[in-house]
Amino acid sequence: MHDHGTEAIKAGEKIIIVGNPNVGKSVIFGLLTGRYADVSNYPGTTVTLTTGSYNMGGVDTQVIDTPGVNTLIPMSEDEVVTRDILINEPAKQIIQVVDAKNLSRGLVISIQLAEMGLPFVLVLNMWDEANSRGINIDVEKLAAAIGTMVIPTVGVERKGIKELREALYKRTFPSIAINYGEAIEAGIRRLEPLLPEVKSKRAISLMLLAGDESLKPWLKGHVGIIDITKIESIRHDIQDKYYEPLGYIINQIRVKRCEKVIADVMSKSQTDRSPIMVHLGNWAMHPVWGIPVLLAVLFLTYEFVGVFGAQTLVDLLEHKLFGSYINPSMTKVVTLLTSDTFFRDLLIGEYGIITMALTYSIAIILPIVGTFFIAFGILEDSGYLPRLAMMVNKIFKLMGLHGKAALPMVLGLGCDTMATLTARIMETRKERVIVTLLLALGVPCSAQLGVILGMLGGISFYVTLLWIFIVVLVLFLVGFVASKVIKGESSDFVFDIPPFRVPILSNILFKTLSRIKWYLKEAVPLFILGTLILFTLDKTGVLKVIEAGASPIVVGFLGLPRKATGAFLIGFLRRDYGAAGLYALAEAGELTPNQILVSLVTITLFVPCVANSMVMIKERGLKTAVAIMAFIFPFAFLVGGVLNFVLNGLGIKL
Amino acid sequence: MDYWKSKEQRLEEDRVDEVLELIWMLIEDGEATVENIARKSEDPQVSPLLKDIESFGLISIDHHSGKVAFKETGKGRAEQIIRRHRIAERLLSEVFEVEERQIEDHACELEHTHVLGQVVVDSICTFLGHPPTCPHGKVIPRGECCKKFSLDVKPLVGSLTDLRIGEEAKIVFISSKYHARLDRLSSLGIIPGSVIRLHQKQPTYVIRIGETELALDKDLAKEIFVKKI
Repeated sequence: MHDHGTEAIKAGEKIIIVGNPNVGKSVIFGLLTGRYADVSNYPGTTVTLTTGSYNMGGVDTQVIDTPGVNTLIPMSEDEVVTRDILINEPAKQIIQVVDAKNLSRGLVISIQLAEMGLPFVLVLNMWDEANSRGINIDVEKLAAAIGTMVIPTVGVERKGIKELREALYKRTFPSIAINYGEAIEAGIRRLEPLLPEVKSKRAISLMLLAGDESLKPWLKGHVGIIDITKIESIRHDIQDKYYEPLGYIINQIRVKRCEKVIADVMSKSQTDRSPIMVHLGNWAMHPVWGIPVLLAVLFLTYEFVGVFGAQTLVDLLEHKLFGSYINPSMTKVVTLLTSDTFFRDLLIGEYGIITMALTYSIAIILPIVGTFFIAFGILEDSGYLPRLAMMVNKIFKLMGLHGKAALPMVLGLGCDTMATLTARIMETRKERVIVTLLLALGVPCSAQLGVILGMLGGISFYVTLLWIFIVVLVLFLVGFVASKVIKGESSDFVFDIPPFRVPILSNILFKTLSRIKWYLKEAVPLFILGTLILFTLDKTGVLKVIEAGASPIVVGFLGLPRKATGAFLIGFLRRDYGAAGLYALAEAGELTPNQILVSLVTITLFVPCVANSMVMIKERGLKTAVAIMAFIFPFAFLVGGVLNFVLNGLGIKL
Repeated sequence: MDYWKSKEQRLEEDRVDEVLELIWMLIEDGEATVENIARKSEDPQVSPLLKDIESFGLISIDHHSGKVAFKETGKGRAEQIIRRHRIAERLLSEVFEVEERQIEDHACELEHTHVLGQVVVDSICTFLGHPPTCPHGKVIPRGECCKKFSLDVKPLVGSLTDLRIGEEAKIVFISSKYHARLDRLSSLGIIPGSVIRLHQKQPTYVIRIGETELALDKDLAKEIFVKKI
């Protein structure tokens, strides 16, 4: 293969994948590296950087999948990350992925890459969708207009990947360039000498002119204080020549230029695309029909996760597999192996690792989480989630958020920890803090949801509704108050809605598997740890002491039996685990329906789990995370207590 | 614009304009008399000026009752002044969002013939969609441009929120006070000159631009001004 690459790969040089949100970067990444990254429709799911390794002519080369950007003059955290990678990382090759249907938005980035002096290969992904919409792009003409190689692909069907691999060997530097007019060009000429020796001087000058605040830290590291002041004054000089902000003017010139290129290379013909998906997509966001669609989606999800996953599969695994086979045989094995009651209890006792931790995590949690992630994957890949975000936008606005927050909230129903990570798609700090708070406070993860619905379903449907009503009401009120109390700004609600598609099964399975793997790695050790703690507390008698100490709150305030303390104790570790403890109590007939509701509302409002707390600290900072937790635990007991008094005061017997 | 005229001529003209404007407004509110003109005018020499204007053949003064009426030419000129003033007010308040108390001052400057020529006034009028009234609700006299348009007086340029569902329009300008908002919209391809199609208004606005569908809040849609095509 040595005849391909004239340039040897230097140590540390990387392949960087860039592109707009939702163009299939992650799919291309997965096809090159073989490692699967999260592929989805929702803008911004590639929030964390994914890196992998690609064997390029016998040399292992690192591949970085960057967050989606619409411009390299960043407006969000994600865009800053991508821009910084492009400036700082030594790039062997850049792959720019473009949605062939939306060529113009991609070309705006191509122009900026060209200005940065970077080589790249332009990938026209979703070539099939463009064709089915009657969009024809003259690939050769486009390649000539930009000056780089252009490869049409259909990522999800692996089409065009071979050509892409070939193209990667050749570094071609784009030839497309823009003249921004005398005033701006003069500004660039004045700025360039002040910048350190980097390839992308022109691009950085333009970013500075556009008033890019996010460049400040970089500037401070490379340019003296005097020059920074000079740069500021040059920017002001140029800005004074225009009425509109320079960033806006620069963007406009770029978009106009792209449109000119497109007029030459693209043509549209009559389409014959299947109208069913288009209609479905439209119904899903229709002000009236969108509501039955939403209800249908909820119903189907409930049938699949709540009935098939949480009842049929759990029954199969818990009672049949574990109850009839694994636990009895493990009990036999353990009894044979050891006669020591301590070890017996440790493994197969009331708080035993096998009988409690493994049974619980594998037999109860796994099917629920698994079915939820499959359902979520389908919603994601079909393009329904952004439509859902639209439908609920107005409600979220009352909580200082907007429709985009629906994604972390829905994902939270699967796993709050994962959802807290995706809170990054919110643009301002205020929004991210509110989303984190609400997730931690009241969005039950699927594990907990499964246990809770099982318990409540046993009483009556109305109690289930009552529980939903109370939790949603609390969430809403806390969100509303938080939006007033927490300082900061809310961002604009504007995002693109991907076309409605039939999801590809293999993608969903891959995604579900990687999510389940992640979940099990995070959850099972905690189950075992939690079980061990309970076991130790029980054996040493500390459990009784704590139960006695907490009884004023648990017994007096919440009106629950003393034994419930253990469940709450474990709830600090994982709230679904706490809920499972309550489940055991309820099954043993030690809780009245009123007590079940009170205890479940209280535990629902707990911080989800230790892992969630860790992610909160990592993402929001120690101070904010501690503040959130310090609010949540007392608040959860307060709501539970108030509910207890209201139920008793009104003499309601559920 | 009458560049060839001297400064004094222009000043003199401006004084006449001011009085004609006043007479127009007094007639609008009831009647114009020598007495109430003298009371309301800011011109220190209003009485001799009125006589001059009468001698130019622009107005007639009834010497018994003191009632002042327009003659054909005077009426035409006054109409143009009022039109310029009120169109200017509309432009300043709607497009440039100039503060209320500043509008009057600027509009007074703009109302004179040598500042805004007829062609410019008509273009502004068309741009604003031939508005029937000024921001204070007073009637704007119709110009030639409006007569051509009289059958279908719909604004040419209006907010995206005024479009009907399914209509196509070209973005004319985006009037946002927030730079970040302009930047964000422009990065999504929403810039003056782009052609968009309004897909729906509820529960949020959805517009189609090229092959992209964008959902956006009403707050944002309000700031995007478009021209139907």
